[in-house]
Amino acid sequence: MVYLTRKIEFSASHLYHNPALSAEENKRIFGKCNNPHGHGHNYTLEVTVAGEPDPVTGMVLDLKQLKEILEREITQRMDHRFLNYEVPELQGQIPTCENIARVIWNLLEPKIIQGRLHKVRLYETPDLFAECYRNGAGCA
Amino acid sequence: MNNGLTVALGRRYRFAASHRLHSEKLSEEENNRVYGKCNNPYGHGHNYVVEISVSGGVDPATGMIVNLTDLDSFVEREMLEAFDHKSLNEDVGAFRGKVPTTENVCVEIYRRLIRFPLAKLERVRVEETSNNAFEYAGEEIQDRAAIR
Repeated sequence: MVYLTRKIEFSASHLYHNPALSAEENKRIFGKCNNPHGHGHNYTLEVTVAGEPDPVTGMVLDLKQLKEILEREITQRMDHRFLNYEVPELQGQIPTCENIARVIWNLLEPKIIQGRLHKVRLYETPDLFAECYRNGAGCA
Repeated sequence: MNNGLTVALGRRYRFAASHRLHSEKLSEEENNRVYGKCNNPYGHGHNYVVEISVSGGVDPATGMIVNLTDLDSFVEREMLEAFDHKSLNEDVGAFRGKVPTTENVCVEIYRRLIRFPLAKLERVRVEETSNNAFEYAGEEIQDRAAIR
């Protein structure tokens, strides 16, 4: 098995607010991230695909295809957007790194038909990231 | 977990510490040969980077596996206070009689952080320099009790 990783970046704004909680609870749980006008990050996304290299092309999948999938599914949807208001898949969810990573997994998994999606790692800052992978597949 | 999917949160922390690699089980010559410059009797230091990941259910009310403030304060108390600006050999009890290689530092940090009550520790990665990294994800389940 060979693991191939491609990285993209996008910039987006968000805020953390749960309407089911009081203003005080929102402030206590989410702190600065609860600022009503939002704030932004430069996100870095690493997408890892696992597979056997094709004996003819030597590729797990064509990077050009992966690039197009990431452009269409992620960049066009999330880059320079306000995640709370402009990304339908995040409606009704707090757009934490965990939830965005899971949305990205769900968007990409059915689109990757050559090889299989192995891991999604989303950095919100260089020191904070969330990742999604099939249970037990975390170390590769 | 949902549908067999693990969601994990990763966080990077930094500490600066000194150490000396020297094994009491080896002769002076052997120590010198094995550890080279790292055997310098007065020690030397590194800026360590520790990357940890923890997994668990994402709370629908908060969108979080764990609130970062809880994770940060636990790591501050259990790891950074003990390691930052310390001599690993002299100031950290675990390294009395154990060589503070970054392999051993990685396992010791895992042993401390596995006690975090609010999420499951998946993995500890310690970067001694930007060119050296060590990772530890615990042993098989039957051995996990022994490290706690």
